[in-house]
Amino acid sequence: MKRLTHLPTLKIDTSKKISVYYRSKTHTGWYGDTIATLLYADGIRVFGRSLKYHRPRGLYSLDGECSNTMMAVDGRPNVRAETTMAADGMHIAAQNVQGTSEKPVESTPEKDWMGFMDHLSWAMPAGFYYRIFHKPEKLWPIAVSRIRKAAGVGVLTSGYTVKGRYDEIYPATDVCVVGGGPAGMEAALSAADKGLRVILMESRPWLGGFYDYRTSLDADGVPLYRKANAMAERIAGYPNIRVFKNAPVVGVYGNSMVTAFQRGGRDRPFEQRYIEIQTRSIVVAAGCIERPLLFENNERPGVMQMGCAHRLARTWGILPGRRAVFSIGHDLGLEAAIDLADLGMKVVHVADVREDGQDQRLLDELKKRDIPFSRGWTAIKAGGKRNIEKVTIGTVNGMRRREFSCDTLAASAGLTPVTGPLATAGAKLEYHHLTGFFLPVKLPDNVYAAGRLLGLNDPASVEASGRLNGLRAAAACGVRVDSELKAAEAETSVLPGPVRNSKMVTAPVKNQKMFICFDEDTTVKNVDQAMDRGFDVPELIKRFTAAGTGPGQGGVPGHNLPLYVAQRGDSPDVDPRPITVRPPLTPVLLATYAGRNHDMHKRTPVHESQSASDGRMDRAGVWLRARYFSDDRRSRREIENVRGNVGVLDASTLGKFRIFGNDALKALQRVYIGDMNRVREHRMTYAAMCNDDGCLIDDGVIVKQAENDYYFTTSTGRSGATIEWIRYHTRYENLDFHMVNLTDAFGVINLAGPNSRNVLQKIADVDISNEAFPFMGYREFTINDIIPVRAMRLGFVGELSYELHVPSSYMQAVWDLLEKAGKSFKIKKFGLEAQNTLRLEKCHVIIGSESEQRTTLCDLGLGFLWCKSKPEANTVGSVALRQTENQSGRLKLVGFKMKNGLERPPKDGSPIVDSRIRGYVCTARFSFTLNEPIGMALVEDSYAKPGSVFGIYENGCKGRLIRAEVVKTPFYDPTGERMKS
Amino acid sequence: MSRTITCPVCGRRNGYEFRFGGEDKGPRPEEEGMSPEKWFEYTHLNDCKAGIRKEWWFHRDGCGVWFTIFRDTASNREVVRPPERELEAVP
Repeated sequence: MKRLTHLPTLKIDTSKKISVYYRSKTHTGWYGDTIATLLYADGIRVFGRSLKYHRPRGLYSLDGECSNTMMAVDGRPNVRAETTMAADGMHIAAQNVQGTSEKPVESTPEKDWMGFMDHLSWAMPAGFYYRIFHKPEKLWPIAVSRIRKAAGVGVLTSGYTVKGRYDEIYPATDVCVVGGGPAGMEAALSAADKGLRVILMESRPWLGGFYDYRTSLDADGVPLYRKANAMAERIAGYPNIRVFKNAPVVGVYGNSMVTAFQRGGRDRPFEQRYIEIQTRSIVVAAGCIERPLLFENNERPGVMQMGCAHRLARTWGILPGRRAVFSIGHDLGLEAAIDLADLGMKVVHVADVREDGQDQRLLDELKKRDIPFSRGWTAIKAGGKRNIEKVTIGTVNGMRRREFSCDTLAASAGLTPVTGPLATAGAKLEYHHLTGFFLPVKLPDNVYAAGRLLGLNDPASVEASGRLNGLRAAAACGVRVDSELKAAEAETSVLPGPVRNSKMVTAPVKNQKMFICFDEDTTVKNVDQAMDRGFDVPELIKRFTAAGTGPGQGGVPGHNLPLYVAQRGDSPDVDPRPITVRPPLTPVLLATYAGRNHDMHKRTPVHESQSASDGRMDRAGVWLRARYFSDDRRSRREIENVRGNVGVLDASTLGKFRIFGNDALKALQRVYIGDMNRVREHRMTYAAMCNDDGCLIDDGVIVKQAENDYYFTTSTGRSGATIEWIRYHTRYENLDFHMVNLTDAFGVINLAGPNSRNVLQKIADVDISNEAFPFMGYREFTINDIIPVRAMRLGFVGELSYELHVPSSYMQAVWDLLEKAGKSFKIKKFGLEAQNTLRLEKCHVIIGSESEQRTTLCDLGLGFLWCKSKPEANTVGSVALRQTENQSGRLKLVGFKMKNGLERPPKDGSPIVDSRIRGYVCTARFSFTLNEPIGMALVEDSYAKPGSVFGIYENGCKGRLIRAEVVKTPFYDPTGERMKS
Repeated sequence: MSRTITCPVCGRRNGYEFRFGGEDKGPRPEEEGMSPEKWFEYTHLNDCKAGIRKEWWFHRDGCGVWFTIFRDTASNREVVRPPERELEAVP
């Protein structure tokens, strides 16, 4: 088709060609074409088949208000061809088409063998699947599978994965303006003039709204499209206005949040991105869409909205057809007819449902061009099998009719406001008799409505309304604008207000197919059937007939359904009531909500060297840590090396803190269950924190560095919450102390095994013999004269071992020095799994493995950490510990070994049962040191004594319980000689 | 989150940055006269009334300060400190 390339309103770049594949053919268009306009320009009229009846569907609107032009693009179903920009090399396929070809890509919506479904519509009255297929029950699965095959939209091929990058941004602003038409742009400008930050949201790829494609003149004789361009240019000059184009709003929440998504693709670094805007005030200037006219075959390809026909020509340079009939109810339709006639289309007839109220100048223009015009006439029927070939129009009372042959019918009943953003914000909407719109009667604080959605039509009124509400939004942000507000109010009061709109819904047609909802194939007859069954409010009729529940989100039936129900209802004095609108106002891809979904984790200072030497990195809380250093999931060699020689572990993830200040000791006394007065210098104290229920939440070691200055460690999982915890429990006292989270500032190396002293002595600058640096000692010294190290002798794995706290930047250096020094001893790295088994042999608990949220300090056998002489009410956990200390029926931590010579441990988490569940296995491993399986379990106190035998239920054990016996703990080195020597 | 919270240090911020710290129930009870019931009430029972409440919040993703705000639990909005008698009048 030859396209109009000279128009000043075009949004395509005719110097850049774009080719897509559809039906085994290459179709070529230009940069700026949507998939729909590209195909339409190449003669495609039928874009797909409808949900139930497999009726042919074509281009109807251009903003994705119905599913007519949803297509599969590069394997992704349900892509909206109207709002998706065409890109080179796209593979496009029609949907819900049962072709004769094997390849779905080659089935054509022009020939769909399921098309006969249209003749079976009598068998599918409203709600037929609810009413028919459930008796007998056996019928239901068969019906479901049949219906699923016949009906539907796009099909997702199994194994399909979404490609592309999905992003998210969270901007904050003072004023958020929804809608980039003339009112929205004016609102943005007037708020930005006050120095406020403004975000302007527009769902189309350009600003301009109802102005951007129109050449008619405003009061000053300026063409509207030029006015739109000038305003957009002004906006671009404001550094404090951020514009998001191609970004439909999803919802407005409270009066301070607007969510939206932005379409990317083509030349943007994202496919779609989620936008969440924090704002202080909101102006909704979302404008209007068209209200469909209901007549027989009102969705036949070739029937389109008046704006769709007009914009096809003006924005994309495509004449919708050769001969057109117009059946409209708004002056915009007259304007479109005149403009399209001037651009070379034969306009056969213009029927206007309104008896009066037309702009006389437009009528004169029609007359000048000899275009026949009739008042009070409407389209009655569209004829033609796949594309319309003829149209019957008639008087709205049904008395007279005429038929015209044509290939295009521009039809709409009028306009309807886009009130979704207001409705989701919580505005109350009521039927307005003059405009026939649902208009806001009560707006939430800081939310304002402006422009055409208020029923305004005159360009000057629309712009002034934008300015006025931009000022109101600025005032809501605390800007003084009293005099300007007064002036703006005075300005709007003398301009034309809301105008009367056509209220016509259905042509005078009975018992024929008039579609009130295209997506769900809901006809007016279906609505009648629902009302005959007693449904009387649109909300219920919507659910029974499915009208408005499709992908278009009520864009087509949203206004017509309540109007029709009110018109047909028994009590004519009841005003139409709007259907509840919910987010998403425009459907969003789930991939967009998933976002980048990148794995956010922390790496220890020696991460690279760990993973480079075969470390299998696993997620541990927020960290990545080395779990194994070989394929052996039991880490036998790592374990045996620690027990018999020397191993080295990266424990940098430990929480590390400094607390100091006049009240530091007081704060520690509050949160630690032990007596912090006893914490000394040069010596580590093992200490625990409980919550107010006496349950263990953290354990670690603490050392005094000076008066009211302490260094302490927490478990890995608690490091993020420790400062919050201590501050929370001292929040009323206004204590004088400071805390520094040193977790990332220091790395930790755990050097463990009988040879660890020999290795460390080689690089330490001081004597570290057992006398100079005994068990539980704390020393600060240097390595290689320069690297400062905080060293602790601890015994988590049950051997002679040193914990070296090293500044992060020196970690790799110290690690390398240790490995070098240990080479002659055959030092070996060990991972988390080895550590887990090693500490299990010593029965050292890991919070979260051996404890859960009900487990108190005493349940774990750690009651010795609790200082009973401290004031109970002032120590977090003390009161509850006292109360639960001797409570019976609690789960207690025990060690167990297997009975009957079983040589493997049960799975972690397996329940312990007799007649009922008595506890569960916490951790169980095969101990290479003891050459038998061992484990720890939380069991009811009646089973907790050494010698008790219990049964363990394992997945797949078929009722044969594994027997285990409670033994004395720890399993390994009960006197602790090995740690202390 | 459409709720914002005003941190005394950082100002008005997105509600996602904060952690809820419960109703303002006053300091820990005195050692004297402590009973299991009293303790249970202090640690676990809340008023849960609809209306304006004084609550503790923590600026977790910010300055790390615990502070109190007034929130209307019916509308889930932060509100300015109401006159004392209105606070008392909450049913």
